[in-house]
Amino acid sequence: MSLNTKNLARFQSLIALVILCIVLSCLSDKFLTVDNGWNVMRQISVNICIAVGMTLVVLTSGIDLSVGSVLALCGAITAGLLKNGVDVPSGDLYIGFTLFGAIMAGLLTGSAVGAFNGFTITRFKVPPFVATLAMLTIARGLTLLYTKGFPISVLGDHFDFIGTGWFLGIPVPVWISAIVVLGAVVLTNKTQLGRYIYAIGGNENAARLSGIKISKVKITVYALAGALAAVGGLLVTSRLDSAQPNAGISYELDAIAAVVIGGTSLSGGKGTIWGTVLGAVIIGVLNNGLVLLNVSPFWQQVVKGAVILLAVIIDKASSKNE
Amino acid sequence: MRRIIILLLLLIAATGCHNKNVEAKAKKVAVIVSTLNNPWFVFLAQTAAAQAQSLGYETKIFDSQNNTATETDNFENAIAAGYSAILFNPTDANGSVVNVNKAKTAGVPVFCMDREVNSVTGPTSQILSDSYSGCVDLGKYFVQQMHKKGKYVEILGIVADNNTWNRSKGFHSVVDYYPGLQMVAQQSADFDRNKGMEVMESILQAHPDIDGVFCGNDAMAMGAYQALAAAGKANKVKVMGFDGAEDAIQGIKEGKILATAMQFPKVMAQTAANYADEYFKGKRDFPKKIQVGVEVVTQKNISDYIAYGKK
Repeated sequence: MSLNTKNLARFQSLIALVILCIVLSCLSDKFLTVDNGWNVMRQISVNICIAVGMTLVVLTSGIDLSVGSVLALCGAITAGLLKNGVDVPSGDLYIGFTLFGAIMAGLLTGSAVGAFNGFTITRFKVPPFVATLAMLTIARGLTLLYTKGFPISVLGDHFDFIGTGWFLGIPVPVWISAIVVLGAVVLTNKTQLGRYIYAIGGNENAARLSGIKISKVKITVYALAGALAAVGGLLVTSRLDSAQPNAGISYELDAIAAVVIGGTSLSGGKGTIWGTVLGAVIIGVLNNGLVLLNVSPFWQQVVKGAVILLAVIIDKASSKNE
Repeated sequence: MRRIIILLLLLIAATGCHNKNVEAKAKKVAVIVSTLNNPWFVFLAQTAAAQAQSLGYETKIFDSQNNTATETDNFENAIAAGYSAILFNPTDANGSVVNVNKAKTAGVPVFCMDREVNSVTGPTSQILSDSYSGCVDLGKYFVQQMHKKGKYVEILGIVADNNTWNRSKGFHSVVDYYPGLQMVAQQSADFDRNKGMEVMESILQAHPDIDGVFCGNDAMAMGAYQALAAAGKANKVKVMGFDGAEDAIQGIKEGKILATAMQFPKVMAQTAANYADEYFKGKRDFPKKIQVGVEVVTQKNISDYIAYGKK
């Protein structure tokens, strides 16, 4: 029985992760503890949410560079609505928002921005790289406009549960990222939309000829990526009890790194959600381990880059061998 | 598609017309700021612009996005657009010198705010915040509060930013003389609150027994505090920041943060705008450099301060 590419990629990242963990636990006795395990899981929950959305986009042979800015925008909108509501133009009235309302507004904003990305990409044939690069700037600018450049802090007693609470002995952010992962696994493996996503990434023309509505699928996928960036924004804002206007800068790079390390092909059509999860765990463990060992911040950047490069080289080499 | 192109052309034509008509009577003052992705610099830039505006000048804020090359573009655009003075917060002490000289050659005076450029002749005047000596004072207070012994952690800002190292060096110029104070970790959190919290969470795993944390800005100090609070160590560990941001001032009031260093962006920005005004009125003999003091804010004197300044 031979392994197919999907399984092989998953296998490799798993081996890499195991080796990384063994090395780190030899170097630091603080690494392999339950406490630190929760720590890492909680820290990677944001990247997992973003990276799952990124995987869907990359599977269609696209890319979404705007996720970090969208995260900041949605976090700011949720925080702003929760704290200040919306002013009514005339009079001293304002519309207050409940926790649920503010969260929904954040998620809707994320989906809307994502859908807009998908719209410019499909309707005007703007390359995804360019369309989402433009959105990276636009969403950051909108965040600065909305927050006027200052953090929105102290958001009330219940909101912090999302980022810092525990449920059945497991941190809430870990529950949320687990739900996101399971949802995406079902989506990619069990649904029609999932099959369409792989088909478009594999061969867009063939997919079009076989009657798949490319625009509809792509807009849905970018909207999902936007919504998942919003979930990330919710987690970050809740953890800090504060929406920072500069939140999420360069988060898109961590997400893309997770996708690539997880073995998803940047040319689309090949890859899995589980691979991305492993990729995100590897990056999270690396971040955590390098700090535990007090490695110089200069070296940390070199090491992280080298790991990404190595992962892709191994991936390329092994897919040739097949 | 053709309709869109025509629309775009019309738009360009319209804006072109508009530009020609701007033969402004009032002089224009440009505010070129290193970044707008940090509340402190937003405050600096907005205060400078507001002050220049209240003196009767048209103003515009240019964002250099922490990039000296973008800053060069901003200077060229500001000079080309006919701005008569530049209130300038540089991205880099050495890299920005070229830009300042370019303005000087064009006859546009430059007034530096907060950060220095390494040039005596270029800027008309520099109104600077002394991060280094501010951190010397913070270091002294830290030593005193720690009773000269204990384990501490330093959380650095962006490691490619010279402010990061000015602050770190000022702090260490004092603290390193006390062998009882042991730095068990030195990590970067990019001036970011979320990263400050994550780095602190990880450090706490390796060193659960620390007594103090020195952070390169207030956002990271707030993040570090949240990690400590979540680990139930907030009462045991002394956290210090730098900037005088709103959250930290509130944090000191509530006893969450031990101390921060207050810079005075309002004073610097308003002085720079006033200088530009005086320059237009004929004054030329400006002090080359003014150091605006940085003051240590603690629970004892917190009642004198508000965010980014004195009451």
